[in-house]
Parts: sequence; structure tokens; C-alpha cells
Amino acid sequence: MREEEIPYKGIEGIPIIREPGSAAKVNRGSWRLVRPVHHSEKCTKCKICYIYCPDAAINWTPDGPEINLTSCKGCMICVEECPTGALTEEKEGA
Amino acid sequence: MQEFKSLKDIPEQDYFTGGSSACAGCGPSLGLKLALKVLGPETIIINSAGCMTLLPLYPNTPLKASWIHNAIENAASTAAGARHGLDNLGNGDMNVVVYAGDGATYDIGFASLSAAAAKNERIIYICYNNQSYGNTGFQWSTATPYGSETKTTPRGKENPTGNTIVNKDMLKIMGAHRVYAATASLAYPVDFLNKLSRAKERDGFSYIELLGACTAGWNYDPRLTIKISKLAVRCGMWPLYEIEHGMLNLNKDFNELKPIDEFLKMQGRYRALPPEGVERLQELIDEHWAELKEYNKQRYV
Repeated sequence: MREEEIPYKGIEGIPIIREPGSAAKVNRGSWRLVRPVHHSEKCTKCKICYIYCPDAAINWTPDGPEINLTSCKGCMICVEECPTGALTEEKEGA
Repeated sequence: MQEFKSLKDIPEQDYFTGGSSACAGCGPSLGLKLALKVLGPETIIINSAGCMTLLPLYPNTPLKASWIHNAIENAASTAAGARHGLDNLGNGDMNVVVYAGDGATYDIGFASLSAAAAKNERIIYICYNNQSYGNTGFQWSTATPYGSETKTTPRGKENPTGNTIVNKDMLKIMGAHRVYAATASLAYPVDFLNKLSRAKERDGFSYIELLGACTAGWNYDPRLTIKISKLAVRCGMWPLYEIEHGMLNLNKDFNELKPIDEFLKMQGRYRALPPEGVERLQELIDEHWAELKEYNKQRYV
């Protein structure tokens, strides 16, 4: 069914978010005290960091994880869970 | 049915983006991210008031699926309504999913949940259990385990144990409704996604309870979310099992559980729990574990 066929579409003033995933452009990087740094030479591409990131701030590419520093809040789950030490933490602003 | 064997099988498509206002290291928001990988964009998520209500805040949303904000009492009835609406409009293959906290599931929304389960509506109910009313500042709920400190059960001279009430056995209650009921953990994403994929294919009500580690309430370093979730399973605090048609199936079986101490000492909410309290908690866990072992692959409820 198309949207204009829905009989109650006339109600106005209800805030509807029309762009899916629009929060991706919100900068949460300012929450961070430490940031994850990826070292590709140690990476075995096991996907653990990508699966466990609660903010979907790690994108999976054929070359391994790519960290999106706009969304990363610096929880360091990826650094803690990385089995090979391919992710390390670095102080922000240092 | 889509079945996952290892982490590498988990789909690379995300229907959840960053930029939400959830805490760093939030367990429940990770649960939603994982769930949407299986459910896909053709999903309506109904959310009871709680922590996850703050994910889509006007004008931004981290979701690429539809979302209904709902009162805390009636998420299951809203879901049943949405299901019937979709079926009548010919959109029967859309998923209707409730994502509600433990306060909304165990306490306030229990009547509507029980009714929807008894009618065997075709919805998936995911309870992200952080064992308290986390959004309002970590108050006691009937999901709070024995010995945990909360805002409304503080430790003191008169009562050093904190919470002295044993939490509800919700899985048994839901199992007795003759629906599919299962526990899941963030540290075992393959198991969680397989349960969801099974629930998606079922023609009836499915209840999945996810232990959503809460960094602010449980009071631990956000980096430990997965470690703590894993320890909860290894210590028997959060056994992984499912109940279908009253039959119990233990998904993660261990010969010996780790002592509960390891789980407790990582969290601020159990700091200063006296040794008698730890012993009592260990007793409760051992009792539950022995019961699960005894009834494994047999009629449980």
C-alpha cells in the first residue's frame, strides 16, 4: 500500500523521521577520551571487532576493519576483544 | 531457515548506524545492531519506554527499519495490533519485533505480554535485560538478581546484602505459555542470531531474553561489556537454553561452572557484598543449574 492511500495521513504535527540512519552524521567523537588504532600487519580479519562494536563504528572492508571516528565513542571493546593485538588505544589530543 | 555456524557467516549488512545517544559500550544497543542483521529493514520495532527509547531522537535515527515509540505497559498489544494490520494489508512477510527492557517485560507490561503469548500472536519479543530500571537511574525490578545493589535497595548497616529478593524465573513463565522461549548473550552472537532466525521462521509467538550488560548501572569499565557477558554464561548466572513445547534444550553445557566471584568482582553493584551473600547467590545459581541439567532434553514446564 502506498503512503498516500493511508486514510489518516492528514494528521499534521507528528514528528516523523524520514531519513533512515540519519544519526550517522551526528558527531559522537567528542565523547572519546581514547581512540582505537588499527595495525593491519597484525590483523587476521577475524571480524570480532566489527561484530562487537555497539555503535557500528567499524565498517568491514576486504582489507579489514575501518574505524569511523565520527561514530566511535571510545568504549574500547574492540581493543579489549582483539585476539591478536591488532587494535591498540591511543590518548585523544596527545 | 538461515543458520550461522561461525562469526564469519554473520551478514555484513548493517541496518543500524552510530551516532545514537546510548552510552559508550552499551549492551542493549549492540543487541539491537545484531538483531537487525537477521531481521533486515522489513521490520517494525515496537519499543516500550526505556533506555532504547532514546535511540531515535527527533530529527535523527540510527535505525534503517521502522520504529514505534510505545507506552511501557502495552508493547505486546501494540505489536499484536501491528501484526494484524500488516496481515490484513497483505504485508504478512514483514517482521514485527518488540524490543523492551526488563522493567517493561517482567513488571509493568507483563499483562499484555502474557495475553499476546497466550494467543500465540506471530511476533518476536526481545527483552533486553539489564536487571533493573536502568533508564531512570538503576532502581530495583523483579529481574534484579539477589545481592545486587540498586538505588532502591542500597547496602547499609541494617541490610548489607542489598537486594534480598530472588529474581523471577521468566523463561519458565514464558515456557509455560507453550511458546518458544530462549535466553541469549551478547558474548555468543552466533547463538543469539540462530535463535532469532528460528523465531523469525516460526508461525507463533517467540520470546528471546538477552542479557544486556549495562555499563553505567552495573558500574564497570565500558570495555568489559563482552567479557562480563561471557562470564555471566560461564558462571551460570545467565545459562543459555531454550524451551519449545515445554521441552528444555541447554545450548551451552559446561561440566563445571566457574565460581561466581569472578563475575561479581568486576562490577561495582556487587562491591561490598558480604561473604554470606556471595554464598547464598552461589547456592541459588547451583540450584538453577542442577535443575537445567536434570531436565535437559526433557519436559521442563
